Amino acid sequence: MDTALSSLSENATRLGMRLQETISEHTRDLAIVGRSSGASYFDSSDLRNIQRHLDSNHDREKLEAMKRLVAMISKGRNVSEFFAQVVKNVASNNLEIRKLVYIYLLRYASQEPDLALLSINTFQRDLADGNPLIRAMALRVLSGIGVHMIGSIVVLGIKKCAGDVSPYVRKAAAMAIPKCYSLDSSHFSALLPILTTLLKDRSPLSIGAVAVAFNALCPDRLDLLHQHYRRLCRVLVDADEWGQIELLDLLARYARTMLSKPVVEKLETEVDTSSFGPQNISSEEVDPDLTLLLESSSPLFQSRNPAVVLAVFRVFYYVGPPSGQSKAVPHLLRLLHRSPQIERVVLENLAVVGRESPRLLMSSMNRFFLKADDLVATKRAKLRILVTLVTPENVQTLLREFTDYVEDTDDAVVTDTIYAIGHCAQHVPESTESCFTALMTLIKSKHDVTVSTAVIVLKSLYQSQPASMDSAPTFAASPKIISRLARRLDGIKHPQARACVLWMVGQYAPTTEGTKSVIPGVADWAPDVLRKAVKSFANESSAVKLQTLNLTSKLLTLAPTHTTLQLLARYVFTLARYDLDYDVRDRGRMLNTLLAGLGTGITNIEEEGRLGGVVLRREQVHLVLFEGKGISPVGLDRGPKNQGPIGSICLITGKGIYGDRALPEWPDEGTDPSLRETEDDHPPAPGYAQGASSRIMQGFGSSNMPSSSHPPSPIVLTPTGPRGASPAGSMPRQASAPVNKTPWKDLDSFYAESEESSEEEEEDEEEGEEEVDAGEEEVGPSGEGVVLSARQEESDEEDEEEYDEDEESEDEEDGMEGSDLLARHRS
Amino acid sequence: MVGSTIDGVIIIDSSGRPIIQSNFRTTFPSYPLVHIDAFNDALAKCSFHSDLDPVLHVSAAASDERHTSACCHLEHGGLRFLCPVSEEADPLFVFSFLETFIRTLQEYLGDVSASSLKDNFDVVYQLLEEMLDNGHPLTTESNALRDIVLPPSFFNKILNVAGVSGLSAATPTPFSSPIPWRKSGLRYNANEIYFDINEEVDTIVSKTGGVLSSSIWGIIKCNSRLSGTPDLHLTFTNPKLLLDPSFHPCIRLSKFASNKSLSFVPPDGNFTLMEYRVDTAPISQTATGAPQIQQLPISLKASIQLTDFGGNFEFVLSTRPSVKVLESVVFTFFLGHTSTSANCSCLVGGGPIGMNDGKKEGSWNYDPRSQVLAWDIAQLTTNPIILRGSFTSTEPHARPARSVKIAFQMPRHSLSGLKVDQLKLTGEMYKPYKGVRINSSGKVEWRMQTRHVSES
Repeated sequence: MDTALSSLSENATRLGMRLQETISEHTRDLAIVGRSSGASYFDSSDLRNIQRHLDSNHDREKLEAMKRLVAMISKGRNVSEFFAQVVKNVASNNLEIRKLVYIYLLRYASQEPDLALLSINTFQRDLADGNPLIRAMALRVLSGIGVHMIGSIVVLGIKKCAGDVSPYVRKAAAMAIPKCYSLDSSHFSALLPILTTLLKDRSPLSIGAVAVAFNALCPDRLDLLHQHYRRLCRVLVDADEWGQIELLDLLARYARTMLSKPVVEKLETEVDTSSFGPQNISSEEVDPDLTLLLESSSPLFQSRNPAVVLAVFRVFYYVGPPSGQSKAVPHLLRLLHRSPQIERVVLENLAVVGRESPRLLMSSMNRFFLKADDLVATKRAKLRILVTLVTPENVQTLLREFTDYVEDTDDAVVTDTIYAIGHCAQHVPESTESCFTALMTLIKSKHDVTVSTAVIVLKSLYQSQPASMDSAPTFAASPKIISRLARRLDGIKHPQARACVLWMVGQYAPTTEGTKSVIPGVADWAPDVLRKAVKSFANESSAVKLQTLNLTSKLLTLAPTHTTLQLLARYVFTLARYDLDYDVRDRGRMLNTLLAGLGTGITNIEEEGRLGGVVLRREQVHLVLFEGKGISPVGLDRGPKNQGPIGSICLITGKGIYGDRALPEWPDEGTDPSLRETEDDHPPAPGYAQGASSRIMQGFGSSNMPSSSHPPSPIVLTPTGPRGASPAGSMPRQASAPVNKTPWKDLDSFYAESEESSEEEEEDEEEGEEEVDAGEEEVGPSGEGVVLSARQEESDEEDEEEYDEDEESEDEEDGMEGSDLLARHRS
Repeated sequence: MVGSTIDGVIIIDSSGRPIIQSNFRTTFPSYPLVHIDAFNDALAKCSFHSDLDPVLHVSAAASDERHTSACCHLEHGGLRFLCPVSEEADPLFVFSFLETFIRTLQEYLGDVSASSLKDNFDVVYQLLEEMLDNGHPLTTESNALRDIVLPPSFFNKILNVAGVSGLSAATPTPFSSPIPWRKSGLRYNANEIYFDINEEVDTIVSKTGGVLSSSIWGIIKCNSRLSGTPDLHLTFTNPKLLLDPSFHPCIRLSKFASNKSLSFVPPDGNFTLMEYRVDTAPISQTATGAPQIQQLPISLKASIQLTDFGGNFEFVLSTRPSVKVLESVVFTFFLGHTSTSANCSCLVGGGPIGMNDGKKEGSWNYDPRSQVLAWDIAQLTTNPIILRGSFTSTEPHARPARSVKIAFQMPRHSLSGLKVDQLKLTGEMYKPYKGVRINSSGKVEWRMQTRHVSES
């Protein structure tokens, strides 16, 4: 290394000396070579000499001027004023100048189309240059400058390059097709035959770019691929990594459109979910062409490129049979180690797997354990996955983990963790006891967020198990828990959590028969909570005020004759009457009227004059206030449950963006495999460096494929027409699309049909997405739908609304919706 | 359009200003700016960098779906690399490209920083132009790239001054090599190839000292300086260890599948040959607790007491008897968002007080910006050393991290016991000089029990 460097610098100095001797004007410049000059270009904003330099005879000056221009572009300055001078240099013999000119040209050509035309001749000449680099570059710039007028010239250029001897130039030709097409879609008919030519390309270097072009030009014309499908599968392993991604995408769509869905037959009718594994599946019937795709793509699981790995995973997950899925998961897990960004993205994809088939992740649970220095988004995604993996066997391990995570330094993570504990309690009855203990410990925490979340989760748990009070033995301790909660009211600051405690106190205040208490019928700890709440009433938030009113009414209903309670109630209702929040005023008035029949003397009806109407008896009031709770179980699943297929952006951000990565639905019946048979269905000569493709071929060819001695298929299905028309039956049979029996059809009817079928496919995709949606909702433990029983009164309805933890429900709309629902239900 | 496309690449400096912007051809003019603003806004909202999601949702003024996009970003060398994407694509595709791009920049510029980018912005633009064509990665193999974009060097600068293009002179036939990752016609006087095997153990230890999860990750880096087209065959004595491997494209996958050996024509220069994972004892067997702890080379006794507005701590660190020495041990402890200062002393335990020569027990440092307490120990032995101290916080209830992190180096040691058996060269006549070096390192996350002690 050192010797090489010294010899290099020696060479350089020697050359420098020679130059110094011969070209006197260069000596000054050599002096500045030592210090880096790039930054000086970057920092100066001097445009004075650029024009002169561009017109200069010396390459050095031109180069300097171009560098300065590029630096200006980089800084965001508009330097299009030099366009004319720059274009003149497009034919420069110096490659570096030329490249900088190209960079400039690509940026400003669409603003100066007329001047840009000056350069076209040079590019056309370059297309015939002896150097493949020049040819490819010329085509890339030509197709990239975005001038409408030269569209047909570009098409000609692409056509010329598509037949080039250098695969690099053919790659450039394929890359130019999308650019040309997006500029002017009328060139479609000219570009399609070029694409079909390129599809036959044998070089693995260019095939990836051809897939890009195919996806851009005619993504729905998958019928053009019949003849190439098997070869594309085999060449997959030799293509460059970016090409592999595009190819995998294309082949997966082909398989989902043209091949039959793998049929899985189970031996056992009832399969135990915990032991559900591939060994239980007795037989899988997989299309041999699909097997070919899976076999040729599985080596790519070992790619160094994470995107390739995920693309293969998509194939195995969405196209392959279930038995392949478990083999695919470890490769995705490997990516978690790559970088924080990749970990974040991969986790979201694994979360999809976790939701749909948690058994695949079960054995690698500890790889999702949170680390203190994970990104926040990563931690939350890991929690979402861990929650899906909870089973009676591992719940204790996970619970221990969760209790550790509660001490995390990020509030969002803490909140998610506490919800996860709640989820365990809800879904694994065995763990309910320990979950409650854990949550009660959290109530003692010094952190506001921890305490309030724990309270909210506890409340949701109580609500979702209405029978707990009396029947389930695990909840025998529940009044004790509430009394402990009640005692901690002063320490609970979060308004929602306070409101929750007040509600629970009210709800569970009635004592069971035979229990002794100071006020008959009311648990001993309840009245003191009311006293505290009433004392701080004026300074509470609306949610707490509403609950204070509820609590007052409930206690008063239990003990209507108790004078202290009466006094407290009268005080609270008076405060509520003059509250700033109309919800509080309304609630106060409503409850006040409701309690009129108790004869407690706290009502102010006399003052307002007789309103008439029905007065409820005490038992009825009791029913209204206490019964019918807990009917709406509150979901404890947290965080964005992002929808979207594996390997998409909307899966990560949770927000839609243009485009769709979902694969089409399987056809009712796959296309005839003979469509895919070609003359060269024998192992090709091993690739330039990879021997892998031949191995796959042997394994495959031995079973289903005609061997090389087999006579070539009699039906020649290679499209011969200039527009690449496809034979009938090459599209999959869809229920709604009758198969045309005529072997060839005229172009017009063909196009009409292909439009039709493409529309159908779009519809199919939409349907697919809807189905995914529905599936997601099933996975969630609780829908948001509120089931209202007919006996419920309106007040209940409002109560329920209030406790929906996600909503403050202060706005009018919610109430409206609720009553609408109620009205509909009643009618 | 179905395939994945990247709209462009923006590199912004630490102050949020763009340095490099690739050409955004198909989008509206303010598109890059919208993303830079969206990124800077999101960054400003986060109190900590780790709060920032690597994929941001960006919506321009219009709520139309066509005008929403995503911005994938990552940080490298104090710079932020942004990749706006306006059509549905795989974010991994974007990050893979960004990683490849940064790797290429490193090869070209050495260190990637704001100043090195500004010095060589013309090279960066040329690279971008070659690597990203209309949203699709084009040429990303560094061996091929070096043929078409000349790396900045003293020699090339002189050629430039002389007005001679280095390109035409140096590379008469780009893309003439039939192997995409290898140049043709390479000649070296001394043919050498070096393998660097680096293994890292990544462990989480529970509060009670049990190992919760542990994996060993290995990476084999290679520096090849061989003439012609050598065909190499590398075998290991215990290849069964290698799990979930990933390879450089040069590896013949079929050979590995059949006999677990690596057969390849190497690229020229530095490259990553393969990565792998080694399984530690299956975790399911350790449900009972202790035995697995032997794998851990380090031992920690921690006690943390949180008081009002701060806390006290004491950490006792040593290696396990089975391991003699650990080098460059870095112990870090995040003291929480509200922490303001720390004061500690490092001691050598066990020995007499006079033994403290200021080296063995290491040195500590509290960084008020990252709020991390770091304790650097050049060499850790079985002799325990102690870090004792206290910290202060602006809040009455401090909230330090629930775990400490310990990183260490084990030079010339293999965690997995992987051994190279032999390297055979065919296709060329010379005998290369071969070298293999194994280094190990570790990252341990040790969870701790904190106790609250209220003074009042």
